[in-house]
Amino acid sequence: MSFTITQRPDFALVTVQLQSGQTYHSEPGAMATMSPNIELKASLKGGLMSSISRGLGGESLIISSYTSKGGEGEITFAAGQPGDALHYALDGSTDIYLQRGAYLANSEGVEITSKWQGMRGFFSGEGLILLKAHGNGDLFFNSYGAIIELDVEDDVYVDTGFIVAFESTLNYQVTTLPGARPGTNWKSLFLGGEGLVCRFSGRGKVWIQTRQIATYLNWVHRYRPVQKSN
Amino acid sequence: MQYEILARPASSVVKVSMNQGEHLTCEVGAMVAMSTRMTVETTTQKKGASGGGIMKGLKRLFAGESLFINHFTAQSDGQYIILGPTMMGDVVHHRLDNATLIVQGGSWLASDPDIEIDASFQGLGKAFFSGEGAFWVKCSGSGDLFMNSFGAIYPVEVDGDYIVDTGHIVAFEDTLNFNVQKAGASWIGSFLGGEGLVCRFQGKGIVYCQSHNPSSFGSSLGPSLKPRQS
Repeated sequence: MSFTITQRPDFALVTVQLQSGQTYHSEPGAMATMSPNIELKASLKGGLMSSISRGLGGESLIISSYTSKGGEGEITFAAGQPGDALHYALDGSTDIYLQRGAYLANSEGVEITSKWQGMRGFFSGEGLILLKAHGNGDLFFNSYGAIIELDVEDDVYVDTGFIVAFESTLNYQVTTLPGARPGTNWKSLFLGGEGLVCRFSGRGKVWIQTRQIATYLNWVHRYRPVQKSN
Repeated sequence: MQYEILARPASSVVKVSMNQGEHLTCEVGAMVAMSTRMTVETTTQKKGASGGGIMKGLKRLFAGESLFINHFTAQSDGQYIILGPTMMGDVVHHRLDNATLIVQGGSWLASDPDIEIDASFQGLGKAFFSGEGAFWVKCSGSGDLFMNSFGAIYPVEVDGDYIVDTGHIVAFEDTLNFNVQKAGASWIGSFLGGEGLVCRFQGKGIVYCQSHNPSSFGSSLGPSLKPRQS
């Protein structure tokens, strides 16, 4: 399997070469172009329970599957929003956690499920309900804005809305910034706007995005027409 | 303090590296990620000139009339912070050397705490143009300053007279004289031409301009959006 990612970081496009009989999976609607011998199937991959689990992770219940029939084929994937995309080769030893909406595509051998975050995810308000990618194979994930890789050796804080993905070797905890803890400086917590962050510790990689759709939507909101009351 | 601007020009963020005891003053909500040996403190700055007091401050807060500022302080060497704006666009660095730069409110991203920030500057008028939430930040002193733009950012070295549409101004040096005027000979012509108000700069100094006007973009989106209740 070979692939390229072009037009980074603003309009990333993933191109995958499939061998005869090989299958690839993606979120619905991610396919931009494909060879005519590629067959598309939409399914509740992994059965109903696995699909519901993905649904809890903020992704579609449906997975699109593309199989190259009677020869090689080429397929390109792009996310709905403009932004970046990255590849990660899963080898069975390390899993990848993906933030809501970050899943793009995967090869056979990779399983995508959701991971219940308990109160950590609930508390963050950013839907830190993560998808987990596990297995052996290729994974592609996407962002809004560019993706920046942070190699964590020392601890790092990431605003929960900017997390794209991270390696399962890292420990993480949703917390508040120092100085922003209740009782020490209430203003920072409530007015700081940066109240909730994820603290990563241990060794591993975190991928962050440079823009956030939620803040963009807040900006757009003020341009909505105001409904006239009758 | 060292800095690096990443993912230019559409998804730009700035990574600022700080040693023990170094400070940075940032727009609230701009923090994307940072190392953990930093402390944060939130303060407010009045937008536009008006009285003080806690109750008035709270009122302004809910009216969205205050500029919230976070002060980050490195507690040990080798710390860093990554800052990103809301909109798609660039980040630019400007070095102030005992000078004053007037920055459009939404474009001010971060600055050296030695730079005095005054968000009550009203030299350009407030309600006059650029829609709601328009304000200007007067930055005086010496140190590093970071600004962001919607679209690309480009400096214009004015020597004589120069006209910039008010929605395209990111910042300008106060060595310039300026006055807001209509773009055409008549008011009707100015507004029908879509160039309601422009700023005429006179003298010698730099004007930072942005390629796109955020409120034009917002206004073009508005009619396609669902009405809001209020």
